Amino acid sequence: MTAAMESQEFLLTSCEFITDPEEKGFLDFTEHGDLLDIIDFDDLFGVAGDVLPDLEMDPEILAGELSDHVNAASTITTTSSSEKTDSQGETNKKGIWRKGEEVVSKRDHNKTHVVVNYDRKRKYSSSASSKNKGIRNNELPKPKVKCVKKVDWTPELHRRFVDAVEKLGVEKAVPSRILDLMGVHCLTRHNVASHLQKYRSHRRHLLAREAEAANWTRKRHIYGLDSTGANNKNGWLAPAPTLPPPATVPSPPVNHHHFRPLHVWGHPMVDQSVIPHVWHKHLPSPLWVSETPYWPIIHNGTTPYFPTVATKFRAPVAGIQAPPPHHMVYNYKSDLGFGGTRPVVDLHPSKESVDAAIGDVLTRPWLPLPLGLKPPAVDGVMTELQRHGISEVPPAASCA
Amino acid sequence: MAGSSSASYIHMVQHMIEKCLIFHMSKEECVEALSKHANITPVITSTVWKELEKENKEFFKAYEERQSKQEQMSEEETNQMIQKIISDSSKDSDD
Repeated sequence: MTAAMESQEFLLTSCEFITDPEEKGFLDFTEHGDLLDIIDFDDLFGVAGDVLPDLEMDPEILAGELSDHVNAASTITTTSSSEKTDSQGETNKKGIWRKGEEVVSKRDHNKTHVVVNYDRKRKYSSSASSKNKGIRNNELPKPKVKCVKKVDWTPELHRRFVDAVEKLGVEKAVPSRILDLMGVHCLTRHNVASHLQKYRSHRRHLLAREAEAANWTRKRHIYGLDSTGANNKNGWLAPAPTLPPPATVPSPPVNHHHFRPLHVWGHPMVDQSVIPHVWHKHLPSPLWVSETPYWPIIHNGTTPYFPTVATKFRAPVAGIQAPPPHHMVYNYKSDLGFGGTRPVVDLHPSKESVDAAIGDVLTRPWLPLPLGLKPPAVDGVMTELQRHGISEVPPAASCA
Repeated sequence: MAGSSSASYIHMVQHMIEKCLIFHMSKEECVEALSKHANITPVITSTVWKELEKENKEFFKAYEERQSKQEQMSEEETNQMIQKIISDSSKDSDD
């Protein structure tokens, strides 16, 4: 059937289809002759009637694009009334496109309505949406997104973004592919690109911090607990400054599977199930620090399980604020030799580093909590304090 | 009246405690550090610590386990071990 073939080709060429062979259940348009037979619209839209997914399109785009592609059977009319002949009685305010005959678009009263009457030849201006049809809508709720200029990166949206990026590989992820994998309406490549940029720079920042923390805690292990001995042939004194500069933290490809999604600004962590089994792996591999738990691994294998640490991040930036550089941290006495004298190591952090850390809290209280532990109830704390004779906090008198 | 200021104070103390936790300090060390460096009344620190512990039982349980493992090895033992490492490595480097 010519019409069907045409429409098929039309969709394929005009919608920037990228066929992802790994996509399960992806409709293989090339094999089927009749596009219309493939698409099970009920499946797509999950409602009894013939309602197309919610898409609010900018009327200008719509008018502009459709005019090229819609055949004679379609008409575009604009109305400014908010009529709604939607048989479902849906009350949402998004544009609703109907398959087939009457089309209603309900918009805000102030906006111009675009009512599109078209047959199945339709073009979606968002490349991502075409791919989304028929495959994902069964699993995902219809994203109720508006096609406005500024994207609101909700946690859900961001999560999808992160999923897509991880699938592709953070450094290799390209906005157009991310867009496809996300399958979200109304995201432009530009939106994704700028978000990706922010995400990457945030990640580097976090990784740098974690690297520092990991390095520090690792050294502590080497000094104290690692019975297999340090790898360092020059003596234990020189903890290898293996940290690369923050901008170039390498990401060995194999570790991508274990990459714990770094928490991003403003959003609570989601999907904590990945985290627990990540703990065990890497020591020592100071470079790939995203696997590093916040707490060093005990060598005999009894890894502490820290679900609460990971899940409680509510802070905007959930990075560990690593203790200052290692040379400040340890107290070690200076008569160190190789094989002669007896080196003495005080495993306690140096006063300076503790002071610096605490001072940091005092001077910059807005900084996020380094661990993000679940905070106690204020009332509980106050009650407890009152039992110890403290009625106001901070106390009026200075402490002993 | 001191409602939100006590909340933020407690939050600050929590923040400092977390910093100490990163240093793997014990509760006592933490109390001392906060008192010394930030003038936080010891009882406040210890109360906040205890409450944090209640809210984050698993974390602190594991933290304690780690701490006790560390303490098992005394400084003397640590020194001996390091001594051994050094002598081993100097042997190795004699090619």
